[in-house]
Amino acid sequence: MKSDGTLPKIAVHGLTGCAGELLVILENLGTVLPYVQVASFPFAQSKNDIKDVDIAFVEGSVSQEHDIEVLNKIRSHSKWLVAVGNCAVHGCVQSSTCAKFTPQEMVESVYGKDSAIKALEAKPLSSYVEVDVSLSGCPIDKNQFLAVLASLLKDHLPYIIERPVCLECKMRENGCVLIEKNLPCLGPVTAAGCGALCPSFDAACYGCFGPCKDPQLDAMTLILQEKGYNLSDVLVRLGTFGIPEAVLSNLDVRR
Amino acid sequence: MSDDKDEVKKHTIEIPEITRVEGHSAVQIEIANGKVQNVMLDVFEGTRFFEKIVLGHNYEEIPHITSRVCAICSTGHVLAAAFAIEKIFGIECDELTTIFRRVMHLGMFIESHSTHIYALALPDFVGATDLLDFASRFKDEFSNWTQLRNLGTQIQSVIGGRPFHPVNLHVGGLSSIPGKDKLASLITQLEAARPLALDTCQLLMRFKPPIERTSEPVFMALIPVDGKYGYFGNKILSSHGFMADVSEYKQYLNEKAVWYSHAKRSSIEGASLFVGAMARLYLFNDILKGEASNIYTSSPLAKGDHNSIWNNLAQSIEIVQAIDECIELLRVLLERYQDAKAVNKSNLKMKPGAAVGAVECPRGTLYHFYELNNEGQIVAADMVTPSAQNTARIEMDIKETVEQFADYESADLQKSLETLVRAYDPCNTCATHMVSVSYT
Repeated sequence: MKSDGTLPKIAVHGLTGCAGELLVILENLGTVLPYVQVASFPFAQSKNDIKDVDIAFVEGSVSQEHDIEVLNKIRSHSKWLVAVGNCAVHGCVQSSTCAKFTPQEMVESVYGKDSAIKALEAKPLSSYVEVDVSLSGCPIDKNQFLAVLASLLKDHLPYIIERPVCLECKMRENGCVLIEKNLPCLGPVTAAGCGALCPSFDAACYGCFGPCKDPQLDAMTLILQEKGYNLSDVLVRLGTFGIPEAVLSNLDVRR
Repeated sequence: MSDDKDEVKKHTIEIPEITRVEGHSAVQIEIANGKVQNVMLDVFEGTRFFEKIVLGHNYEEIPHITSRVCAICSTGHVLAAAFAIEKIFGIECDELTTIFRRVMHLGMFIESHSTHIYALALPDFVGATDLLDFASRFKDEFSNWTQLRNLGTQIQSVIGGRPFHPVNLHVGGLSSIPGKDKLASLITQLEAARPLALDTCQLLMRFKPPIERTSEPVFMALIPVDGKYGYFGNKILSSHGFMADVSEYKQYLNEKAVWYSHAKRSSIEGASLFVGAMARLYLFNDILKGEASNIYTSSPLAKGDHNSIWNNLAQSIEIVQAIDECIELLRVLLERYQDAKAVNKSNLKMKPGAAVGAVECPRGTLYHFYELNNEGQIVAADMVTPSAQNTARIEMDIKETVEQFADYESADLQKSLETLVRAYDPCNTCATHMVSVSYT
């Protein structure tokens, strides 16, 4: 509750993405409705007003001119801007560093040479506006989302774990799928937050929360090569979920 | 309306924000002298270029990447990709793995259909203006949605690891077999939610379509692979008798790009298509079982009323079907639990080649095509989503609706158009937007 007796206003918007974060937020609405007023959420309600919003959650990457317009408008009307989801924070699979095509090449291959469709290279929100809080994940973890909201409602910047998934994996006492099962697990270079989901299902982490802080990519590449994975597959896999090309190009094997 | 030919009366109706992701789609309707000249449904769905994004990736990564096309039908995208790659390898999963996949897929149906019915479509019919209004004035409905949606997400979390973008579903099978106690608890939850699903059907049965249908749609869906009502198959059937293997989808769907939209238009033998729950029920109601069959028989659908609005009702009948089938399949899994095996990757014999995988998603048939090289990397890919197949039909439906209204400024027309588009459930985010009418 604010000093004037009203509830803080939130806005929830999607740019170009799979609507996963919109869905996570929609599905947790029952929990948050007592504490906030949903001023704008075009995915789920018809009356939307973006003015004077306390916290704006934006999912998706910026992939077309229209996204830039929407994002600028949201930024200028919100106190806190939270980038939610890997798309908004890192660019996710759309900015995958594998087969790089220019937006024009992609438009032509999908819609034909004469197409008037315009596309931009998928970029995270921070490429265009100042972002106050970045909560990655594909999709975001609902508990992390609720914790971010709770912090911001108290005017605190939230703590978001930047350590590798391995930390959570050890806390769950999982066996290491990389060392013991030789699976191509990216846990050592991927940000925690999911609770080490994939290894808990005997599968290799594929990096969907994006990179952890200071990811040790050289060591990761080396160990996967030692496990018999071919270098080109390893480099593709590392770049699938939003590790910036600039970070990848610093790898020893690339230099 | 003037008869004077020199005074052609032109109207343009615009729906600036109707789409699966808000703000990324629009409808424009051009009217001259009382006749609809043009309906343009601008769907921005294709702008993410997944067909290009997947190139160069190892086949193992593909289900995880394609799941990101759409959150709410991610399980469908994972399975379509897995089916295509397994066809290339010439392998078929064992029976229990297929049953796990079916249960997972049905969990997606329960989650997706209930979210569409309650959170997106229902506020139109009950007159709720925003989420708070809906949640506070329609407590029972909001709670029904919460419970049914939780059921769907629980099923997908137990089998797939999370409510969407599953981590346990892979080419060849599951990486880990879910615990027996968790499977058993799903049965309890399904049984508890079943009465809500039945109530949902009765609730939707009461909402009469705001406008009458003038032309019959051409329905199309996958023929269920085992003769029971279901969502896995390799052949397509249409209501005008067209049948083909899904591998020929490029020929029969006749996809065309249009200048004003990011979604291509599909048609079958010249007719616009209707895919999704109503199409499946039209084509395969005779193999529905139990309560779902009874409800269908008592519904306007069985009497031949194919107004698009009844797609909401059709979805609710599929929720009942999904709950009953899930209970049945989970009992089989519990009985034969010790025979369930996780995928053994060393048994997967990788081969180069190309194939099409298809699956019925909540909104209709989804096609994935991949070509793999000798290293198991993707060299070509294509996807056709249900919403892209429905767009031509939605445009036609809009045209017919507008022509039934004498007054283009009528608030009823605006509401009817939005309700109509929403009934097709054009992917998830086609939610609640303003319609504005402008004059040129």
